[in-house]
Amino acid sequence: MAAEVLVFNLLSAVAIVAAAAMITMRNPIHSAIALVVTFVNVAAIFVMLRAEFLAAVQIIVYTGAVLVLILFVLMLVNQDDLPEFHGAKPLQQVFGFGLGIVLLIEIGAAILTRTVVAEPGPWDEQGIAQAGGHIQSIGQVLYSGYVLPIQATAFVLLLATIGALFLGRPDEDEEPTPTRRPVATISLAHTRGADDAPLPQLQAANVKHEAGDRDLIMARDADEFTSIPGEDDEQKERSE
Amino acid sequence: MSSWLFLIPLLPLVAAVINFLIGRWILRDSAQWIATLAVAASFILSIPVMLEIMADEQPLSQHLYTWIPAGDFDIPVTLFVDQLTAIMLLVVTGVGLLVHIYSIGYMHGDPGTYRFFSYLPLFVFSMLMLVMANNFLVLFVFWEAVGLCSFLLIGFWFRRRSAAAAAKKAFIVNRVGDFGFGIGILLIFVTYGTIEYAAVFDQVGDATQTTITVIALLLFTGAIGKSAQLPLFVWLPDAMEGPTPVSALIHAATMVTAGIFVMARAYPIVYESSDAMMVIAIIGAATAFIAATIAVTQYDIKKVVAYSTVSQLGFMAFALGTGAWIAAIFHLVTHAFFKGLLFLGAGSVIHGMHEEQDMRKMGGLKKYMPITYWTFLIGAAANAGIIPLAGFWSKDEIILGTWLYDHTVIMVVAFVTAFFTSLYMFRAVFMTFHGEERFDPEKVHPHESPKVMTIPLIVLAFFALTAGFMGFPPEDGWIHHFLIHSFPGLSLPDVAFSTIAVFAGISTLIALSGLYIQYLAYVKKSISPAGIAGLLGPLYKLAANRWYLDEIYDVLIVRPLVAFSMFLWRFVDAQVIDGTVNGVAALVTYTSSQWRRAQTGLIANYVVMIALGAVIIIGAFMLFGSNLFD
Amino acid sequence: MSELMPEHFMFLSAALFIIGMVGVLTRNNVLVIFMCVELMLTAVNISFVGFAWEFNQLTGQIFALFVIAIAAAEAVIGLGIIMALTRQRDTVDINQVRELRQ
Repeated sequence: MAAEVLVFNLLSAVAIVAAAAMITMRNPIHSAIALVVTFVNVAAIFVMLRAEFLAAVQIIVYTGAVLVLILFVLMLVNQDDLPEFHGAKPLQQVFGFGLGIVLLIEIGAAILTRTVVAEPGPWDEQGIAQAGGHIQSIGQVLYSGYVLPIQATAFVLLLATIGALFLGRPDEDEEPTPTRRPVATISLAHTRGADDAPLPQLQAANVKHEAGDRDLIMARDADEFTSIPGEDDEQKERSE
Repeated sequence: MSSWLFLIPLLPLVAAVINFLIGRWILRDSAQWIATLAVAASFILSIPVMLEIMADEQPLSQHLYTWIPAGDFDIPVTLFVDQLTAIMLLVVTGVGLLVHIYSIGYMHGDPGTYRFFSYLPLFVFSMLMLVMANNFLVLFVFWEAVGLCSFLLIGFWFRRRSAAAAAKKAFIVNRVGDFGFGIGILLIFVTYGTIEYAAVFDQVGDATQTTITVIALLLFTGAIGKSAQLPLFVWLPDAMEGPTPVSALIHAATMVTAGIFVMARAYPIVYESSDAMMVIAIIGAATAFIAATIAVTQYDIKKVVAYSTVSQLGFMAFALGTGAWIAAIFHLVTHAFFKGLLFLGAGSVIHGMHEEQDMRKMGGLKKYMPITYWTFLIGAAANAGIIPLAGFWSKDEIILGTWLYDHTVIMVVAFVTAFFTSLYMFRAVFMTFHGEERFDPEKVHPHESPKVMTIPLIVLAFFALTAGFMGFPPEDGWIHHFLIHSFPGLSLPDVAFSTIAVFAGISTLIALSGLYIQYLAYVKKSISPAGIAGLLGPLYKLAANRWYLDEIYDVLIVRPLVAFSMFLWRFVDAQVIDGTVNGVAALVTYTSSQWRRAQTGLIANYVVMIALGAVIIIGAFMLFGSNLFD
Repeated sequence: MSELMPEHFMFLSAALFIIGMVGVLTRNNVLVIFMCVELMLTAVNISFVGFAWEFNQLTGQIFALFVIAIAAAEAVIGLGIIMALTRQRDTVDINQVRELRQ
C-alpha cells in the first residue's frame, strides 16, 4: 500500500506547486495553464479515491470546458494594461498571505485534533462491483435520491445560459441611462441667472459640467440660485 | 321605590349629555329647560325616597352593575340611601333645582348658556352619585367628578384670565386634599380588605388605634380641600369668579358639603380615634374663626359670603370633631338653604347693579330691590343666628355640643366666631341696602331682578325661616330622631331645658350685639369703622389681607415649584433630555460617517473582510469547540 | 504513512483551498481571481470525494458532482460579467471597479 501513498503524495505535490504557480504567474495565460495542471492532478487523485466518474467529469468540464472558456475570454480581453501581481498593494499582499497562513494553521490543527465519526456505507469496492461498476452505482444513488436536485441544477444551468446570452448581448448605440438624478447647470458668471446669458454660452457650460469647472455650480433646479424679477410671483402661484 | 333609585342621578346626567352634545347647534336656549326639568324630576323622585326611609327607617339600595370584578376584589356600583343620604338628596336636588331656575334668569343672554346648563346638571349628577355611593372608590370617583365640574363652572367665563386662574387654583388646591383622600382609601383597603362602607364599619375596631387615626386624618385631608378648611380654603373665595349661581351651587349645596358629608359618612372610623377628632375640631374651629375675621374686612359682597361659607364649614367640621354629629348635618342642611339664599341674593344685587360687586359703591338699595332686600336680610339673619331663623337652631346646637362634649376652648372660639358672623352679615346688609347711595345714579340704575330670579329667593327665604324647626325642640327635634338611625352608635344627649335656654340666650345676645354695632356703624354713623380698623392696626391688616395665606403659599410652594419647574425645563429637559437625544443622533451620525469609510467600493477589501470573518469563525470554533454557541 | 489516511486528502484540500484564497486576496486581475475561485471549488470537491471514500459512501461524490455543475454555471455567468465589464470599462483590474460604492 505504500506505493499508493507515494503516488498520492506525488500527485498532491504537483497539484500544490501548480496551484502556487497559478497565483504567482504574471501572465494570466500561464496561470490558466498552471490551473490545468492542477486540475488534471486532482482528477488523478479522484481516481485514487474511487471516483472515476468524477475524474472524467473533472477533466471534461473543468479542463475541457471551463478553462478553455477562460482562455477564450483572455484572448478577447484587452491585456495591454493588465495589473501585475507585484503591482498589487503591499498591504493587500500581507493581508492575503497572513490570512492564508492563519487559516492553514487553524485547519491543520483541526485536521490533526478532530475526528469525524460516521456510519460506513455499503459502497466499498465490493459494493460498487455488485452494482455493476462505478457509473452504475453513481447513477443508482443519484437517480434514486436526488431527482429534484438534478432538475434544479438543470434549471440553474438553463438560467446561466440565458444570463450569459443577456450579458453577452451586443452594445446598444444609445447612451447608458444616467444613474444620477438630473442636474441643471448655471453659470456664476451671470449672477442674475442663466436665463440672462446668451443661449450658446449656456449650452457650452452645460457640456462642461463633468470637468469640475469652478465657474459652474450644480443645482437641482436652475431657479434655486436665480430669481428673475416678475417670474417669482408666477412661480409662487404655480407652487400653490 | 328602590328600583327607581337610579333615575335620580340618571336624569341630570342625561340632561347634561344632551345639552353638551346638541346644545350648541340645536337646543341653544332651550337647553336650560331640559336641565331644569331633569333636576326637578330628580327632586320629585327624591321625595318618595325620603318618605319611605322615614317610614321604614331602613336604608334602600339598588345594585346597578359591578364595575371592577377582580377576583376577591370587586367594586359594585350600588346606589345606597340611608337617612344621611336621603337628607343630602333633598338638599342637593332642592337647592340645585332652585339654582337652575335662578340661572335661567341670571344667565339670560349669555352665549354659553347651553354649556352652562350641561355643566350644572353634571355637577348635580356627580354630587348625587357621591352621596349615593356605597363604597369608598365610587365615592372617590365622583368626588373627583365634583372637583372637575367645579373647575368647569368656576372657569365658565374662561376668557377672563382671573376666572381661568381661579378655576385652576380650585382644581389644584383640591388635588392636594384629594391626594390624601386617595391614600386614605388605599389605607382602608389595605387595612380592612374591602372598601364598602358597611363592611368597613363593621370591622373598624380591628385595626390599631394609630391606623384608625391615620385613616381618619387622611380622609379629613380630602375634606380640608373640598370643604375649604384651613389651610386649603384659599381656593373658595377665588372661586367667586364663576357665575353667581355656580357659587350658590358649589358653596351652598353641593361641593363644599361633600367634605363634611364624607366625614359624616366615615364617622364610625373617625369616632374611633379621639386624636383625629381633636385635630378635626381644632382645624374646624380655627377655620371658622379665621374666615369670620377675614369676612368682616372684605368689601366684595360675594367675598363676604364666600368667607362666611368657609366659616360655617368650619362650624360643621368642629361639630363633627367634638362629636355633635347630628348638629353638623343639621347645620349643613340649614346652611345650604340660607347660604344658597345669600349667594343668590348677592347675585341678584350684582345683576341689578350691572355687575358691580364692591359694597362701597352700593348703599340704599332697599328701595330699588325690595324682594332681594328682604330675602337677603332673612338669609343674613339666619346666618348670623337670630332666633328663630334656621341658622340659630343649628349653630346653637353646635355650640351646645362643644359644651356637652367638654371642649371649653372651642366653645369660647365658637362664641367669638358667632359674634363675628353677626358682624360681617349685618355689615353686608347695611352697607348694601341702607345708608346713602354711593353709586353713580347717572350710570347705574338699580332694578329688581326678574321673577325667575326672585321666586327661588323667596322659596329659599321660606326655608331659611322655617328649616330650623326641623330641629325643634333642640336635641329632640324631628331631624334628630330621623338621623339617629344612621349609625348604631349615635345617641341623643339628654340636655336640661335650662342649659338650652342659657345657650340660646347667649347666642341671641351675641347676634343682636353684632347687629347693633353694625347698625351704629353704617346706619347711625355713630361709630366709624375706619376708626376701629385704625385702632386694631396690625390685626385689621392681618384679616384684611386674608391672614397672608396666599402670600405664604406663594413663598413656600408656588415660587419654589416654579423655580424647580424652570430648573427642570432649562436644565433637565433642554440640557439633559434634549442633550441625550441629540447626543444619540450625533453619535450615530459620527459613527456612521466613520464606518462609511469602510465602504470603499473595492471588491478586494470586501473579500479580505470575508476571509477575515471565516478565519475568525474557524479560530473561535477551534478554541472553544462546538459548544461555542451554547 | 504506510496507508492512505484521511489526513492526506484533507491536507491537500486545505492547501489548495488556501492557495486559492490567497490568490483571490492578492491578485488584481479579475480573470485570475476567477480561476482561483475555481481552484477553491475543486479543493472542496477533494474533501467531498475523500470523505466519501473514507466512509464508503457515494453521497460525497454526488455532492461533488453538483458542485461541478454549479461551478460550470458560475463560470458561464462569471465570464459573461467579465466580458461585459471589459466592454464597458475596458479593464480587468478590480481596483478600477468601484461601482459598489454609491
